[in-house]
Amino acid sequence: MILEGPTYTDLHAVVDEVWSAFLGPEDPLLPALPDTGLGDGVTWSAATSVTGAWNGVVTVEIPDVVAQTATERMLGLAPGEDLSTEDVADAVGELVNMIGGNVKSLMPGPSALSLPLVARGTIASPSDLTEVSCLDLTWAGSPLRVSVLARRDVPARATDKQESA
Amino acid sequence: MKILVADDSRVMRQIVIRTLRQAGRGGHDIVEAQDGQEALDLVRSEAPDLVLSDWNMPEMNGIDVLTSLRASGSQVAFGFVTSEGSEEMRARAAQAGAAFLIAKPFTPEAFGEALAGIGL
Repeated sequence: MILEGPTYTDLHAVVDEVWSAFLGPEDPLLPALPDTGLGDGVTWSAATSVTGAWNGVVTVEIPDVVAQTATERMLGLAPGEDLSTEDVADAVGELVNMIGGNVKSLMPGPSALSLPLVARGTIASPSDLTEVSCLDLTWAGSPLRVSVLARRDVPARATDKQESA
Repeated sequence: MKILVADDSRVMRQIVIRTLRQAGRGGHDIVEAQDGQEALDLVRSEAPDLVLSDWNMPEMNGIDVLTSLRASGSQVAFGFVTSEGSEEMRARAAQAGAAFLIAKPFTPEAFGEALAGIGL
């Protein structure tokens, strides 16, 4: 079964738009070198799910330095200002919310978007999800990853369209 | 003029307020709500001239807030600021009585156009 999800190009365009709109255009998102990973330090993870005609989960994983810088820029603060853990979690959650909402709009509807789940660390994906699209990028010299996972039990509409064409 | 900004994200409320200023709509009284129920309560107690509301919020989502307001006779100007900007969502918003839907991520220009469309 071919699972449906946004194309790499569409997902990249969504993430690029979110990043440039709220984090500034001065540091572009660039493709990461193979096997770059997210580093060994603290990682923030966020996920939001889409349920309905398309069922999937969108995740964002970023190192702490990216989470801190993103929060500063979203709040309009100077670099190095003290940030609360709540504000960083809020900002990271809003990033995945915006990416998830735009992914939802790319997929068949109707469907509903969940409130974001944010963790300082990693979020394990349910076993019935399969990765259908993944971006490994760098921003201001730091890595980040955006993934889209889809449920295996959902009929693949893209395949249906090809078969009926 | 008083504007109610409803979003469960404090970060996003600050971005919306900053974008209002960047769109040339600064200087208004701002009231903030962190969920849909609080937004509904604040419309009744604060009587804002405009509500800028997220769609997906705890306690009560934005479309239910708008539906409740219209059902109670409130005709306050209401616009969504949401990450979900599909045609389906725009149609649902308009059908419920929203003046506009601004999709996240947005620009000051998007705010300016939406607010100009309702004469603000």
